[in-house]
Amino acid sequence: MNSMRRLIKINYALLLGCMLFSCRTEHLTPPNEPVKNITGTWGIIDATRNGTDLTSSFDFSGFHIVFTDSTYTIDSLVPFIISHNGKWAFDNPQYPFDLIFTQTDSSSIATPFQFPVANGVRNIILTFSPGCPSNSYVYTLQKVN
Amino acid sequence: MINIKLRGGKSAWNWIWKITGTLIVLVIFACSITINNVTQPASIPGASTLTSTITATIGQVNATQTSALVVGILVPTQWNAANNTTVSFTSTATTGIQPMNLIPTGTPAPTGGGLSWQTDMLNTIGSAGNLINEYEYICFESPQQYTVNNGNNIDVVVTVNIKVSQTNMLFNMAYVVCESTDGLNSTANSQSPSTYYGTFFPPSLRVTGPGTLLDFIDPQLSVITPGFATDNDIITLPFNSTAVHNSLTNASQVFLCATGYTTTGDSIKVCQQTNASQLQSLGGGNFQKSIWPRGLFGLSASQSLDSIEYVFTDATGSVIVGFNGTSTPFSYTFGCQ
Repeated sequence: MNSMRRLIKINYALLLGCMLFSCRTEHLTPPNEPVKNITGTWGIIDATRNGTDLTSSFDFSGFHIVFTDSTYTIDSLVPFIISHNGKWAFDNPQYPFDLIFTQTDSSSIATPFQFPVANGVRNIILTFSPGCPSNSYVYTLQKVN
Repeated sequence: MINIKLRGGKSAWNWIWKITGTLIVLVIFACSITINNVTQPASIPGASTLTSTITATIGQVNATQTSALVVGILVPTQWNAANNTTVSFTSTATTGIQPMNLIPTGTPAPTGGGLSWQTDMLNTIGSAGNLINEYEYICFESPQQYTVNNGNNIDVVVTVNIKVSQTNMLFNMAYVVCESTDGLNSTANSQSPSTYYGTFFPPSLRVTGPGTLLDFIDPQLSVITPGFATDNDIITLPFNSTAVHNSLTNASQVFLCATGYTTTGDSIKVCQQTNASQLQSLGGGNFQKSIWPRGLFGLSASQSLDSIEYVFTDATGSVIVGFNGTSTPFSYTFGCQ
């Protein structure tokens, strides 16, 4: 009987020890949101004007924009936010809402920026009005291989 | 494992009872919505506010259901109506004026097969006879849900105020009333025909404004969209070869021949029958071509277009069709609202 009590006491002591030594302070650090990387050559895969699809009725294949770390070059063969080469930046590199173009010798133009993944492929979606403010265009860009 | 004995026995009766019971439940939850009338002016000035009133009855058949009220309106896209519209209602189930909220674009509709409310309405209700594909449904929802008791009807009066653009146009509006639980239950999504929604198609609305009439309703040879644009927009030139009898009525290939007039009085003509100038065939005698005027006419940075004139030709360039089937060119003047 005494040995049984001793065994129970030892078990309690071991359990208490485990509980005490299993606790330690966890230093949790939130994952660092990566800076959005858009470097590369992008082409237009989808375009709408005021919600109407233009992709099948207008040739967008000649348009390319090449982003480097801070500059861009453009083949301006379609209406776009800008028409000359220059520099680009995000309003916030980690959580961008706007893509800001600065043409050489020109002021900056900010356009709403989305960066979704569709069918496993990263897209850039830009919304802008190159002509009348009442005409809203949405271009979906994908990297050109 | 499911064991169905079709030739008599308890198992067969058990399954028949279950299936019949399910069908009965589907039927008794059916909602009945009717738009009794819509009052809407026949004509309003451009840039004014269009006020329309929808009178509807919402009933429930043999069941009690709690849902939000949903209203859809077919409008021209150039009104930007999602940002220029207020909707409210009064009803026999509520006290005072109840505001309604815009349903954001892309919000899935119940029983819509994954489609948004806006697309579900366009597929199910349609374009109300408008021939120019520059229209959309805007949808509104009551912020609260309301209970419709068994056998009791709710009478609803919805007031819609839309600030329209100044564009001179003729357009067919459409109105839809439904509820948030069942949506449209559209046959377009393989659902059974039902009375889950009510529709109303009032007489055409004329908006009087400056410039050429943008006629959505009557077939025309060619009306450029959008109605307002600069030379840095993409504009679409349609050709409805059967709208008026002309020399290209039976043509299989149609080409664009256009002249741009700059703000300094110069003219630039682009009139070669090539792949670049050929219109895309849409079938049924309909063709279209979308152009970027600055690119088509090769404008320099300092040049701007004031207007364009255009005709359509056959592959040889010898057959020419312009306004009303004659050789007089169609014209389009650039400008914004």
